[in-house]
Parts: sequence; structure tokens; C-alpha cells
Amino acid sequence: MSVTGDGGWYPLMLSADLEPGTAAGSTMLGRDLAVWRDGLGQAHVWDDRCPHRGMRLSLGFVREGALACLYHGWRFGADGRCVHIPAHPDLSPPGTIRAAPLRVAECWGLIWAAATDESGTLPEDDPALAAVPWVPVRSLRIEAPWQGVAGAIGLPEGELAAVLDRDVDGRVLAALLPVGEGACMLHLLAAEPAEVARLHDLADWGQDVRARAEERAGQVFLSGAVA
Amino acid sequence: MSALVLYDDELDEDCYRARLFLSFLGLQARRVVVDVVPGGEQDSAAFRAVSPAGVLPVLRIEGQAVCGAEAVLLALAHGRAEWLPEGAVDFARVAHWLQFAGGPLRAAVLMRRASLFAGAGDEQSARRRAAVAALRIVEDHLAHRRLDGGLWVVGEGPTVADIALFPTVALCRDWGEEHSAYPALRRWVRAVRALPGFVTMPGIPDYG
Repeated sequence: MSVTGDGGWYPLMLSADLEPGTAAGSTMLGRDLAVWRDGLGQAHVWDDRCPHRGMRLSLGFVREGALACLYHGWRFGADGRCVHIPAHPDLSPPGTIRAAPLRVAECWGLIWAAATDESGTLPEDDPALAAVPWVPVRSLRIEAPWQGVAGAIGLPEGELAAVLDRDVDGRVLAALLPVGEGACMLHLLAAEPAEVARLHDLADWGQDVRARAEERAGQVFLSGAVA
Repeated sequence: MSALVLYDDELDEDCYRARLFLSFLGLQARRVVVDVVPGGEQDSAAFRAVSPAGVLPVLRIEGQAVCGAEAVLLALAHGRAEWLPEGAVDFARVAHWLQFAGGPLRAAVLMRRASLFAGAGDEQSARRRAAVAALRIVEDHLAHRRLDGGLWVVGEGPTVADIALFPTVALCRDWGEEHSAYPALRRWVRAVRALPGFVTMPGIPDYG
């Protein structure tokens, strides 16, 4: 598949994890993003910073097809332009006040964002994954460098997503979001038809991948009694 | 039922567990404010006379002082099968998560207190790791529940197990842990927020 790590498309989250009318945060190679879905179902990805006071837009809420900042309620429409300022309800906000949208694609049960305007092949154009519907299983945060996780699960060199056929029964779509130098999000989906027991197995496999990757990275998270 | 009295600290997530459940139940309690930060009133002789171990919250119910969030939740849930399932298996599951909330999850409670009131937020301490590990246990559980079509911690509807876990999850940003790392928790937090009678506390966004 043609999705590459450098200057390409990044798998932010499972489509199922962004309900209509909600906003969420994501981080792509250290770049904080606000991801939100309008009432029509369209996903939007912006830099996670309100043009007004720098508040994180991912903490905001969706009202009337716009993302509202939690701080002062400024609302930004699908194109990023400010459409409403509650403190000045009669003002038509100038077009220069706008959030910073990134290119977005949604396919195979994942929401993708492009790191630059010149990113290559759109994820939709990739034939390798289009053949079968994908059932979302879960995403896991892994406190380990993404390259190590990619190698451990068998992603081809330089790829952030691929169909795997190993360790678990049936075909698995694994997608990896590099959050930063030492952390990533692993998204797992199963090819239809997928029985519930298999989905549980796949979720468990993800936890196993997480535990082994973090152990290699010297990051161990053990629950227990603390003082 | 005689008047309920809640010994309460606005910024304490354990007290919020009690306030949240009271609100879901539509019950009013007379509020006695305990000034923990900076007052340290939880250690005063007057408060220790009510709560010998200095534990908050305290609910006075039928004249009996019940100390600690999980105990308060159980006392209020008594006889309410929708919040405290009567079936043996689901009751056992609720018991499991109440113990988890009062045990391993304390790492996250302590982490938040240290961050807010002792200026120790970003260090990669054993406490932070244990706190993250506890959140992950809930995240993993809810991710699996979702695969079975379940939204709540136990069974088909919200129980005291959800209320015992909710504040610590919803407040984890206070110690620098972002919800973006926990999609299953994020979905569940939205579900709890949508319940009739939901109330916030400082640190939990109020969308109005």
C-alpha cells in the first residue's frame, strides 16, 4: 500500500471513535490536533489551537455544525472560518479569523490526516484494502517508538498501515499513528465477517503487542498498591 | 428517610462521587464543607469525631455516619436494583470494580492530588506509572465490553461501578494524562455525562 510515514497520510483514529457532533484530540508526530465530526457526518482535522487565545479546540464542543471553543465559545465552521463570537453576537467575524484545517480522508474504518498539502496518494486510492469491509476492534496507546512497534507487528518498511496475516486468525488491518518520538497509537480492525470471539482475541493480541513493545522500550506500567 | 448530611470538599473527587450519585438519584443532602486545602480540616478533632480516619466524603444517613466514597455509594444504592444489581454475577462484578476504585485506582487519585496541590505533575514516577496502568485496566475492560455491545462497566445500564470510576477517569487531565490515549474511556465518559441529573465539578468541562 502507498501510505508512507514521511509527508504522507497518518491514521489518527478509528472512525467509530468519533461520533457525530463530538470533538476529540489527537497528536501526530508531536503536532496536536483537534478532530471533530459535524452533524452531517463529515470529519474535520485542525491544529488544536483556537485563533483567539490559543485554547485547545479539542476540548470544545460541536454546535450548529461548528466547533465551539470551550474558553470563550468562538465557533468555527467546516472551512475553519470563525462564524460566531458570543461576546459580540451581532458581529460578522472577519474571514481572517480562522482555525487551521488539515486535509482529511476517511476510509477502511479510519480517519486520516495529511501532514502537508503535497501529500501523495489519497488513502482511498489504495486498492489493497478496498476489497473488504473492516470492523473496528480498538485502539491502544503504546509508550514505545512507533518504528519498533511497526517492525514487531510486521508492517512493511516505511508504512503506517497494512493488512497483516499472522498471530491471529483471519486478516487484520493494523494502522499506526506516531504520536511522538516515544509513543504511538495502534489501531486494529478485522476483516468481515468477524465473530465476536475473534474480535476479543484481536483486542487481547493488541494488549500483548503493547506489553512487549513497552518492555523492549523499558516502559513498564504495572498497577498495584502505591503510597 | 431522615435528612441526609454530606461532609464535602468541592475539589475532592471522592466527594464528587457522592455528589454525582446524589444528583442522579435526585436526592438533596445538607452540605457541611470541609476545608481540606489549605485548611487541613480533615485532620481536625471535630472532623475526626465524625470520620475517625479522616476519610472524605462522609454521608450521614439515618443517623449513621458512612465514611468513604465506595461505602457512601453502596449505602445510597441499597434497595435500588438499577444501580446495584441483585443478580449474583453482576453484583459480584460491581463489587470487583468498587474494590478496584478503592484500591489500584487510588494511584490516579493520589497523582491528581500531588499535581494540583503539591506541584508534582510531570515526573515519571512509580506513582504515575501505576496511575496510567490503572486507567488502562478500565480502558481495556471497556474496549472489550464494547465488542460485546456493552456501554457500561457492568450490565446493560449504569451502576455504582460507573460512578465509582467516573471522576478519576474524567479528571485525569488534571495530572497531564490526555483522553486521546483512551478512546474507550472517552466514549464512556460521554455516556455518563448524558445521564439525567449529571453534574460536573471543577476540572470537568461544562458545555452548558
